[in-house]
This record gives sequence, structure tokens and C-alpha cells, in this order.
Amino acid sequence: MLDYTFPTLFSTPHVLIAQEAAASNEGFDILTLLNQALNGIGIVGILLLTGLGLAITFGVMRIINLAHGEFIMLGAYVTFVFQDAFDLDLLMTIPLAFLITAFIGAVVEITIIRRLYGHPLETLLATWGLSIVLQGVVKLIFTAQLKYVKAPAYLSGNLPLVSDDSGAAVVAISYYRLFIVGVALALLGLTLYLFYGTSWGRQIRAVTQNRDMAKCLGVNTKLVDMGTFAYGCGLAGVAGSVISALKSVAPPMGQDYLVDAWMVVVTGGVDKLIGILAGSLLIGEANAIIAFMLNDPLARVIVLGAVIILIRYRPEGLFTVQKRV
Amino acid sequence: MTKPQSSSAGISRRKFIQYSSLAVGSGIVAACSNGSSTQSSVDLGENPIKVGVMYSTTGTIAIVEKSLQDATFLAIEQINTGTGPWEGNGEGIGGRKIQKVVVNPDSNWDLYNQMSKRLIEEDKVVCILGCYTSASRKSVLPVFEDKDAILYYPVYYEGNECSSNVFYTGAAPNQQITDSIPYCHKNFGSKGFFIGSDYIYPKESNRIAKAELEKIGGKVVGDEYAALGTTEFITIINKIKAAKPDFVLSNLVGDSIPAFYRQFKDAGITSDKIPIMAYPTTEEEIQAMGPEYSSGHYTSFNYFQTVDTPENKLFVKQFQEMFGGNRVTNGVMEAAYLQTFFMAQAMKKVFDEGGELNTGTIREATRGQEFNAPQGRVKIDPENYHTYLYSRIGKWKEDGQAEIVFSTDAAVKPIAWSQTLYKGRTCVHPTPDTRVDPTVETGKDLEPKYLS
Repeated sequence: MLDYTFPTLFSTPHVLIAQEAAASNEGFDILTLLNQALNGIGIVGILLLTGLGLAITFGVMRIINLAHGEFIMLGAYVTFVFQDAFDLDLLMTIPLAFLITAFIGAVVEITIIRRLYGHPLETLLATWGLSIVLQGVVKLIFTAQLKYVKAPAYLSGNLPLVSDDSGAAVVAISYYRLFIVGVALALLGLTLYLFYGTSWGRQIRAVTQNRDMAKCLGVNTKLVDMGTFAYGCGLAGVAGSVISALKSVAPPMGQDYLVDAWMVVVTGGVDKLIGILAGSLLIGEANAIIAFMLNDPLARVIVLGAVIILIRYRPEGLFTVQKRV
Repeated sequence: MTKPQSSSAGISRRKFIQYSSLAVGSGIVAACSNGSSTQSSVDLGENPIKVGVMYSTTGTIAIVEKSLQDATFLAIEQINTGTGPWEGNGEGIGGRKIQKVVVNPDSNWDLYNQMSKRLIEEDKVVCILGCYTSASRKSVLPVFEDKDAILYYPVYYEGNECSSNVFYTGAAPNQQITDSIPYCHKNFGSKGFFIGSDYIYPKESNRIAKAELEKIGGKVVGDEYAALGTTEFITIINKIKAAKPDFVLSNLVGDSIPAFYRQFKDAGITSDKIPIMAYPTTEEEIQAMGPEYSSGHYTSFNYFQTVDTPENKLFVKQFQEMFGGNRVTNGVMEAAYLQTFFMAQAMKKVFDEGGELNTGTIREATRGQEFNAPQGRVKIDPENYHTYLYSRIGKWKEDGQAEIVFSTDAAVKPIAWSQTLYKGRTCVHPTPDTRVDPTVETGKDLEPKYLS
């Protein structure tokens, strides 16, 4: 009976009308907006943290690493394992997450990435495959169930900045989000110091600017490549470890951060590490404000559209350095 | 010497096509390699009954569907060995064991469609147990209607559907929404803030719930959706703070749930100030977020792990024996479990009457089946193919289990259509089912009925 049509397909309007804005505008005042802008900083912190590793692997090394999200996921799982098995505090697991993901990153660089320098498309496909494999392996070991990571008790609660008459905080930011921002800024500072204040950093910059010349001058480019890539992956691991207590831990979790991290890095400008700070500030706050005025899915569309337009007219991002070609 | 950096423009089109087809191909192989029929090493004896099991064990929705598959496997195991609720019926059904044909659609709605075709046409299964999201159900529905096959669907859903080819063993709107909204209105206050994931079920479910709330004089002070898989909720939480509702009604699903509850508490909102009433938040998600984040919030469901029936104690015990003592059970798993017994009882009935297993006989035999499920006595409504289920509200405790604060005395008769949106619309399949349009417009309010 092919002509049998199904009643519901025609009787219910499945066209979803765009959402109305919040039904009431009570309390939509400057303080609420201020609170949202402040909490936007929390989003910025996460963007900065998840984008930092990518700023190194892509921004500095020009490796298109589609498995970046999976390194974030691995960091979260390292935290989960050490909490689960040894009851370690989340802060204690952060260095472990860094070391383990950096080690995995080094292995990946030696086995896969090293063979593909200068082949962006193959790198893209290889890292895409890697991301599928990593997700699969984690799923095999830990199953697909969501995992529970405990937040440290001393980081719970809120920092109230403005209170209303009844004493309830109108403008407040949670300590944990402040902690994320702090970690992100500390890592950014550390990375800047490594790159611009140490001989290793000088070697990295030399290699990225002119690989052959650096080689001639005795720089061990292979070691530099491996170290840099591992460091970028380690940073992703730290990001995963830190956000695991605020979000969900599951094998596909990295996908969510990958797109955001790319947006941040590309917007900020891939040549300047400091660009990532600008990129995450811009995207995070724009997202927070637009989402508050309209709604979340729409805000994402608008921000993504804006990034595309920006890249169209400024392919090098917001920050760029003059380079000899 | 490494090669000079080549721009992507330097890659020939042929190479790109080669690589991309390789990538796509390997993706398909990956999805299909574990999607093939699994032949268990257990001896299934003579002439086993082939039953399709269609749940994603990879991809985003695997988090939930894997546990449904577990519950289904437990039921099939018990039927094949004549244990658990199947005790006294011997091994298998009328001496024939169930051979499960397992496919994995990889959380891809289109693959559900293809996999169900394959199960029906190539594997020649007699019926299929599966699907979780409404998106996947909508994707396979045309296949089942076209090929006239039977799907047992174990999930609470938005309703407004009635098919001769689907038995709905999860909650219809009137078994989950209808009681929870008045409860919120009475106990928390009249202002509700509605949130959900951005796809068909949460939007439809919230639409019904909002109508219910307005009907009893409440007020909707907010309505927000987040893309599936979103884990950043600070904006929605700030909107909740600004709107000052008396309660939040959440239809977030999957990995958004732990993220939302954690950030909700982290933002300083306590459950005694603004409680969350949720439909998709179950024991499974609570275990993942940590019970300290959910305690004091509510969920409306037909079943909780704490339901006090002998059948449930046995179910929890047997499930944990099979899958590990740290596992929890929840309402969706329970539905996946009980529908397998509905199916087995129907097959047994066909054999007892000396019939052949085919879509027509299974359909007629499933109508009106009753079963002592873990949640209590349930029954497939012979008229609309949904299931009489209990309506319950649980308040989450510190240990991640629910204290049941509301329960109907008996299973509630399902109403496939939301009465708030489609007053008086119901569906009655004729006996025997000739697959005509079952929709009936009564034009009057349908009284709630219970299983006697």
C-alpha cells in the first residue's frame, strides 16, 4: 500500500517558528547585562584555554590538526582516571594531563605528522582519521557513558560584585570560572615567555620562518618540531582537564571545542600568539552578548558569519606581522 | 631536506577525490563493520527467531542508546534461558530461541533508515527493537510503513503520532507532562522557564508543557534552546536569573545535561530557590554529573530505580550482575527491557494459537498484552499501540537516587495526541488492523483512564 500516507506528517506543523525572545523583559537592565558580560569572561577563558594549543600547532607550525579536540578529551580522561583510581584532587591532575597528552602528541608527531610536513591536505585527512581512532579507543576502554569528574570544593561558590537590596548577588562570577581564566592567562604568559624569552623559543621561530636555514645553522629541526607539537597537545590536555569539572566528559566531547578553537585562532591571527587573546575575547564576549539579546543557536550563527566575513577581508586575522615573502 | 611548503592549490583534483573518497569510504566501513549482524557463539538451537536490535553504540547518542541495548540484551538473554520474568516458559519462545541481529547506525539518522531496510529485506527479521531520538524514528518510519514491518520503540516522546507499524512503549505526553506541570504549579509557583535541546522532541514537548501551564493559569517567563551537544550554559543561566522563575522545566538531552546542572549550581542557584523539573534527566545522567549537583531537583518519569516492586528489585539485581555493580537503571532502559517481553509474549501467543510469525500476526498478538514490569503492571493499549504506564515524579537525593514524591496508583491510559494542542483527537486502530488512518476526532475532552 504505497499510497498510505501518514497522518501526522501533514497535520502537525513541523516548521519550527523562530523563538521569541524571553517573554518578559523584567530585570533586563544594565546590571543583568553587566553580569552577562562578566560571565562572558568565563566563556573567553575556556576559548582561550582550548585555543591555545591550536595556536601553537596551527598558528606556529601550520599543522592542520583536526584531532585537537581529542587531545582535549584525552586530558579530561586523564583527570577522570586519576580521580577515579587515586582520588587525586583536580589541580593535582593538571600537570599529569599535560605530561600524558604531550607524550601522546610526541608519539603522534613522530609516527604521523612528521611524514606529512608540507602536505596540508594529507595532514588534515590523517589527523581526522586520528580523531576517529582516538575517540574509538577511548570508547573501547571507558565505554560511551558520560564520566563524572569532581570539582574541587574550595573552588565552589561565587564572587559577588554587586548585590541588590535583598542581598542577592546580581552581578557575580563563579570562582571556578575565574580559576579557568587564571589558568588560561597563566598558560598564555608561560607560552609567550617560552617563545620569546628562551633559546628553544628562538629555535622554534627560526624553524617556522625558514626551516632550511635553521637546519644549516645547526638547529635540530626534528626535535624542535616534536617538542612544539607535543607542547601544543599538552596545552590541549590541560584545557580538557580544567573544563572537565564544569562540562561533560564523554568520547565525542572534543568535537565541540574544535570548531570554537579554530574560530579563535583564525580570528586572532595565526602569526601572533597574542592574537588568540584578542580572538577569544572578541568571540566569547560577542557570543555572550548576542546570545543574551537573542538566543544561543542564533548567536553562534551570527558570530560564525562574522568570522567568515572577517576572514574574507582580512585573511591574516586581526593581528599580523610583516613577513618577507 | 623537507619538501618546500606546497599550497593546497598544488594538489590535483584527482588526488583530492582519491583521498576524500578514501576517507568517506573508511568512515562507511567503520560504521558498517560493527554494524554487521553479530552471530553469538551461543548455540541457538533449531530455527531461531530473528529479531533486529537497532541502537547506536558509536557517535553522540551512544551514551544513551548503549544502555538501551544492554537492557534489551538482558531481556533476550532471560527469554533464551527461561529466567527472570520469563521463568516458567521454558527456554526461548515455544522452544525457539531469539537470534538477535544487531546493527549500529552510528548516531546518523540516515543510517537508521538504511539499516532498518537491510534488517527487513536482507536479514529477514520478524520485527525490530530500537531507536531513541525522534529524529531517528521519523527517519525509519517510512521504511516500516512501506515494507509493513514492526518497530518496538522504547522512548518517551512528544506524541502526536500513531502508526500501525510502531508499538510505543515509552511515555506519551499525558504520562509525563500532564501530571508534572500541575505539580510544579502547585508546589513551586506559577512562573516557568522552559529550556531544551534544539530539535523536534524538546521543542514539541515544551510546546505541550507551556500550553499545559498556561491552561492552569501559570506564566511562561522564558523559552530557550541550545544546540544538541552544547556544554556552555552560562547565557541561559543568566537569563534564568534575570527572569526569576519559580521553576525551570528542562528538556535538555544527552551530554548537555551534566554541563547544565553543574553550571546551574556553580552560578549560585540552589534547588530550593529554583528547582529544575526535567524529563530526560535520569539516574544515568545523575551518575555522570555527580549527585551533589542534582539533589533537590525533580524528574518526571514512569520508572525510577527506587520503585518498590519485587520485579524491580530483581531487574536491578540481574542488570548489575550482567553489566557491573556500578551501573544504574533508568526509565528508558526499563522501557527497552519491558518491550522485549511484550514482543516475546506476543510471539508466544502466536505459537499457542498455532500461527506463523509475520507482521500481521505479531501486530494482532501484541495488542493488549499485559506484563508485570519493574515499574508495575503495564499494558499495550489495543486501540492506539501506546502503553499504559505509571506517571511518577522523583526528587533526587544526595545519593543520586530518586525519592518518589508522586505516583499514580495504576498505569495511566496513553493518549497519543497532546490534548492541549489537539483537543479530542485520539486514535483507534480497527481490529484486525487494516492499516487505515486511525485518527479519530471526538471533539470532547478525554478523561484520564487507568489500568484496572
